[in-house]
Amino acid sequence: MRKDYLFKRIAITLSAVMILSLAGCSGNNAKSNADSSTAKNDGKTAGVTQEAQTADGPFGAYPEEITYTLGRQTIQNPKLPDGDTYENNAYTRYVKDRLNAVAVDAFEANGEDYDRQVSLAIASEDLPDIMKIGSKDILDELVENDMVEDLTDVYNTYASDYLKEIYDSYDGRSLSTATYDEKIMALPGTNVDSAPNEVWVRQDWLDKLGLKVDEDGNGMITVDELKNIAETFMEKDPGSSKNPVGISLAYWLSSNDYGGSTYCATGIANALGAYPKLWLKNTDGSVYYGSNTEENKKTLGVLADWFKEGILDPQFGTRTWDDITALLTNGQTGITFGVWHIPDWLLNNVRAMDKNATFSTYVIEGENGKANVFHNNASSGYIVVRKGYKHPELAVKISNLFYDELANTKTLEKDYPEVAKYQADGVDGSTRPFNVEINKYTSLLDDYSDIKKGVDGEIAIEDARTLESRNVIQNVKRYLENTATDDVTDWSKYHSRMKGIELIDKLTRENSFNWVEPVFWGTTETMKSNWANLQKLEEETFIKIVTGSVPLNDFDKYVKDWNDQGGSQIISEIEATIK
Amino acid sequence: MIENKSLDSRLRNVIIYTIVILLALICLLPLWNIVAISFSSSAAVTAQRVGLFPVQFTLAAYEKIMGDAQFRRSFGISVTRVVLALVINIILIVLMAYPLAKSSREFKGRNIYMNLLVFAMLFNGGMIPTYLVVKQLNLLNSIWSLILPGAVPIFSVILVMNFFVGVPKSLEEAAMIDGATPFQILFRVYVPVSKPSLATVALFSIVGSWNDFYSGLIYITKIKNYPVMTYIQSLSVNIEELLKAGMNSSSLESVTEVSNQNLNAAKIVVVVIPLLLIYPLLQRYLITGIVMGSVKE
Repeated sequence: MRKDYLFKRIAITLSAVMILSLAGCSGNNAKSNADSSTAKNDGKTAGVTQEAQTADGPFGAYPEEITYTLGRQTIQNPKLPDGDTYENNAYTRYVKDRLNAVAVDAFEANGEDYDRQVSLAIASEDLPDIMKIGSKDILDELVENDMVEDLTDVYNTYASDYLKEIYDSYDGRSLSTATYDEKIMALPGTNVDSAPNEVWVRQDWLDKLGLKVDEDGNGMITVDELKNIAETFMEKDPGSSKNPVGISLAYWLSSNDYGGSTYCATGIANALGAYPKLWLKNTDGSVYYGSNTEENKKTLGVLADWFKEGILDPQFGTRTWDDITALLTNGQTGITFGVWHIPDWLLNNVRAMDKNATFSTYVIEGENGKANVFHNNASSGYIVVRKGYKHPELAVKISNLFYDELANTKTLEKDYPEVAKYQADGVDGSTRPFNVEINKYTSLLDDYSDIKKGVDGEIAIEDARTLESRNVIQNVKRYLENTATDDVTDWSKYHSRMKGIELIDKLTRENSFNWVEPVFWGTTETMKSNWANLQKLEEETFIKIVTGSVPLNDFDKYVKDWNDQGGSQIISEIEATIK
Repeated sequence: MIENKSLDSRLRNVIIYTIVILLALICLLPLWNIVAISFSSSAAVTAQRVGLFPVQFTLAAYEKIMGDAQFRRSFGISVTRVVLALVINIILIVLMAYPLAKSSREFKGRNIYMNLLVFAMLFNGGMIPTYLVVKQLNLLNSIWSLILPGAVPIFSVILVMNFFVGVPKSLEEAAMIDGATPFQILFRVYVPVSKPSLATVALFSIVGSWNDFYSGLIYITKIKNYPVMTYIQSLSVNIEELLKAGMNSSSLESVTEVSNQNLNAAKIVVVVIPLLLIYPLLQRYLITGIVMGSVKE
């Protein structure tokens, strides 16, 4: 843990040095920039005459072939077929075919390496025509320095009706994050609420021990019920591991994102009315930090008690992500927390080791009898266009193609067999020109409703809207025919959809959710300098409290320290921002 | 050596051998563990059950590597890079070391050159300036960006130079009497008798450019052009960061598949093999002294 911090600090210092030294060198580029901007102006006049001839509209192709350079965030295993690359694949050829626009990659990189490439591009003032950026902070910086194009007009003119419908489904929560002074400066990727943080429990163990859970069948269990299950699992060791662990949690305890809250206690905290690591608003309009509330103190108290009683992993604080996965896979623990899709990529290991393993999933019930959940940040990643690029509408047109046409077409196999084959073979979505998702707010449950109908035989498999749904229906059907199957994928898809999303669907239907809306997702001035330290203070204090090395009442001292070390300054900055 | 049979020295030997064997094991066991992991099933690895022997033996990881087009392409790029870098390095090292091996009486300004070299070895430009130079030369994304910045390994130049200094003068004089030009002297006399030192610097060059992943990370901006070590480095996944970055479920599925530790272990094993093959080939040069027997004094 210490080491991580050290590395992070070193990384931050190094990148700061890098940017500074690049800024120092940017004088060299002034001349070449001036050259290229005259060239750009020439291009602009050419562009205007060209546009006059363009068959205008959301899907209008360019009469003459154009090229666009891209910054591409890639992933480790895109599953591209032999010969295809990020730069030249079925998706980029589809854009070429529809719009007469050819992609040239300015740079490609995975994860954090990509962020470094973006910083290098910004510092050397050499942006690609269109690129993805990961965070709101970078967007702020680009807008502040006037480096990206205003997309308001092209969005209004060129965005297809369905694309606008998608953004509208978030009630403006998504598009507003990219809007500065009423101007749309980027196309935000959307982030569906994949709520809530679910508790996954080994159903085969419950059956073996004859334990009844959630007897009222509302999909929710109380904190006490959870404790009871953990105690019984500890006592009876149904996995015959000889070394059972009740509940194992990641040391960072919670995350401000549903996806990130796997192995976290977010579900427990939410049930107790705490929303750690989120910025929330009181009824009087004042902002507060969710980790520093009485409710979160109570959460830590519960965890500290569990630690004392041995229900919580005695090695809490030092157990790494991989260690926790190993506990699950080895059958030492049968309770874990995570989003609906963890059976697909995490719990599948459990099944691979134990052919009897099955899971059930619940939400922890709040004292108000509801499932408390928070809205995710509605935006995830942004697509920006370089200031001065002569075809800013291209970004919108490409979005129309991928998030409207491809999502809605019924005749993909016929029109673009190559693209259809990509989807059938599971080639990753990051190979599309823009590695973001732009989906309707309801897309998760819409897809599920298709899957459920398909599994129940109410619709033919071919009538499911997406290819993925069609595949899942087949997986689930195969699993239901033979639940002892050796095929882990069938097992995973059944669990993620018919258990994971089914729970969300059920709670939505029965109106069991109590939604909480965080008010701020960005970075303020003081956060830039103090946030890393405040996070460290929080994390270390919470670990100490849970493991009992300091008493619970130190929480109050922590809150005071936190405020003194810049916390209250940050809060007033946030209040000023959202006013 | 005369064997000392006293109990004291025998005890000393036992202690020394124990320490040496332990050190050897410390180096060897992690590698062996990687080998065992590469032959185990991914679930067993995830469960952290693999120690020194494979659990649920399978060749699946190796089959998958053979099907990974990018791995094959990157492997090819690395091989090309090693060969090019080796040829260029050796030529430049030899051409540079020979004049420097002369005394400053024969080669005026030798000491200035020497000091420049040592200065450049100790204080280099650093990452960002080097990056900018490479960028301005339009070398980004080309295999030359991996070779040219390190074309003259100064440490190796000094090593070879010192070896040249040690070559008996009379060999050169004999060649001169037979009417050899300076180039002939260099390539017919000096190079053949310097095989041990050249083999050493060749090994440095091969190992260095084969193992280097960092320059690929900086100078190569398209994944299809990555050398194999950069590619392998890019496969390491921090799942927590990905989750926090909001990666979607299907991408997570693909990523966790490739981050399977057994698959990565198999890749490591595959990229170590070429080096394991090269060592024994060069070793005989490293051991035999060649100068011996060439002159009688």
